[in-house]
Amino acid sequence: MKGKIIVVTSGKGGVGKTTATSAIGAALALEGNRVAVIDMDIGLRNLDVVMGLENRIVFNIVDVVNQKCKLSQAAIKDRRIDNLFLIPASQSDNKDVLTTEAVERISEDLKSEFDYVLMDSPAGIERGFENSIVGANEALVVCTPDVSSVRDADRVIGILYSKSLTPKLIVNRIEPQRVQRGEMLSHEDVLDVLSVELAGLVPLDEYVLTATNAGAPLVLQNDSRAGQAFRRIAKRLNGEESLPVEVPTHKTSMWSKISKKFGLAK
Amino acid sequence: MFSRFLKKFSGQSTQKDEAKKRLHFALVYDKLEINDSTLKELQSDIVGVISKYFEIDQESIHLEIQRDEDTSALVFNTPIINVKRSRA
Repeated sequence: MKGKIIVVTSGKGGVGKTTATSAIGAALALEGNRVAVIDMDIGLRNLDVVMGLENRIVFNIVDVVNQKCKLSQAAIKDRRIDNLFLIPASQSDNKDVLTTEAVERISEDLKSEFDYVLMDSPAGIERGFENSIVGANEALVVCTPDVSSVRDADRVIGILYSKSLTPKLIVNRIEPQRVQRGEMLSHEDVLDVLSVELAGLVPLDEYVLTATNAGAPLVLQNDSRAGQAFRRIAKRLNGEESLPVEVPTHKTSMWSKISKKFGLAK
Repeated sequence: MFSRFLKKFSGQSTQKDEAKKRLHFALVYDKLEINDSTLKELQSDIVGVISKYFEIDQESIHLEIQRDEDTSALVFNTPIINVKRSRA
């Protein structure tokens, strides 16, 4: 097996990296791939709770890198999705426990064990970020349509290019109604500012919080628009490149359309 | 929808236009941030070129990047002591 390592990063924190990593990882597994998602945020692990696997942790990525355990011992099997595995971060407060050389060394093992390895990068552009990109073949940059997130994405995209990675962008938490009203940057605006290829567009979705609360896979919720958007992103990554990027739209009900016509809407 | 039309015709910019404009400026500014060693290298290169034509006071050279609302400029300031005439 010769897999791919994909780093998920953003620069700014809180834009949905961990949600994106777990959702895309799960979706790639649903496509029939053997997938590992790795939490690279040493000291601030969260991918485990998002995936509902927090009480199964025995070993972590630091143990694997430092050869305290085998890769297979640290990989926790997902409860619901076959072929999906989590390698958690350690909660050590020493962020120097991982070196880029050591991470690079295990990259080949990872690629021989899995079809896809998703690295959930910590926020920032420091050691943890460097560790996440060192063995990567592809990169996904997550941003939201706000100025601070887009600016940080630009910085990260520049760094990725300098490391010979060609990043693709996910614009997360799009609110179609606000875009329509001209209150929020549209994905076209974001792409105007950042010169980067688009991986996909994800709408703001209540299901993300409820799925995270339960530690359940978002992509198994058929009503979740974000979940479905992540599934489409995964399909495109998995070779269905012709699958078009869907632009989130605001679904107006028949009644609000009628009332708008008669000037009754606010 | 209608309010957007109105805005388009009245030339009023939307909130997102403002955001986009500011973002553009921020990114241009960010890229202009040059570290000291680059600036030093640039300065010695410039001094090298100018010294071929002019005798300059290397002690009082001043090189800086000036930024304004929407322009930025590289300013190099040096007193000329003498013009070198041997290059004819």
